[in-house]
Amino acid sequence: MALFDAMSIAGSGMLAHRKWLDAVSDNISNINTASRTSEDAFKERMVTVQAVDYGRGDGGVQVAGVSFGSGEGRTVYEPGNPLADENGYVKYPDIDLGDQMAELMMAQRGYQANAAVIDRATDAYKAALALGKG
Amino acid sequence: MLIEDRTMTALHSALTGLAERQRVTADNIANINTPGFLAGRTDFETALKGAISDGETPTISGGTVARSLEPTNTNGNNVNLDSETVIATETGLRYQLALNALDGKYSLLRSALRTT
Repeated sequence: MALFDAMSIAGSGMLAHRKWLDAVSDNISNINTASRTSEDAFKERMVTVQAVDYGRGDGGVQVAGVSFGSGEGRTVYEPGNPLADENGYVKYPDIDLGDQMAELMMAQRGYQANAAVIDRATDAYKAALALGKG
Repeated sequence: MLIEDRTMTALHSALTGLAERQRVTADNIANINTPGFLAGRTDFETALKGAISDGETPTISGGTVARSLEPTNTNGNNVNLDSETVIATETGLRYQLALNALDGKYSLLRSALRTT
C-alpha cells in the first residue's frame, strides 16, 4: 500500500471527470456547427471509464477510451449558408442538449465529490504527521 | 515490550484498517460514474475485536474488502454518495481519535523517560 493512497485515487477520479467535462463542453460548443452534406456532421464525443484493477490493486479510475456518436446528423434547408450544397441543404449534428446538460451536471458533481475526498484525506494525513509532536 | 505493548499494537492495527477504509472509500467515490462498479466495503473490526478478546496481540493488516451487494443503478453501479460521505467523515474522525490515543501513549512514555 503506497503512502497517501486516498489522495492519488481521488486525483484519478478528478482526472476522469475532468476528461468527461471536456468532452461534454466540446459537444455543447459544437451543437450548432454546420457541415457540408457530403461530409459527416460533428460527432458527439463520449468518454468511457473503467475501474483500475477493480479494487484489488492500487484502486482508482481511468479513462478506458473515447467513442464517437453518429456523424449522420440532420439535414436542414439553409440556402444562405456558405456550406450549403446545390439544393441548399447543410448538415447539423444530432446532439441532444438535454442529455449533454445532464451529463455536464453528473461530471461536475463527480468532480466535486472527488475534490472533497482530497480535502478529507489531507486532514487525516496532517493529523498523522503531527503524531509524537505533543 | 516497553515501546510496542498490546495497546499500541491494537491502535496501530486500527489505524491501518481505517487507512485502508479511507482508501477504499476514495476508490468508491472515484468510480461513482463507472458502469458496473460495485462499492467496496472494508472490515477490520471483526478480526481486531476477536484478537483483543482472545488476549492475543493483534496482527497489523488492512482487513478484508468485500463488494457491496446493494441494488445497482441502471448502469450496474451501486456507489451511494450519501453513505460514502458518511463513511469517509466517520473514518476520518475515528482515525484522529486513534491517533490521539496513540499520542497519549507516547507522551506517557516520554514522561517516564524524563523522570530520572
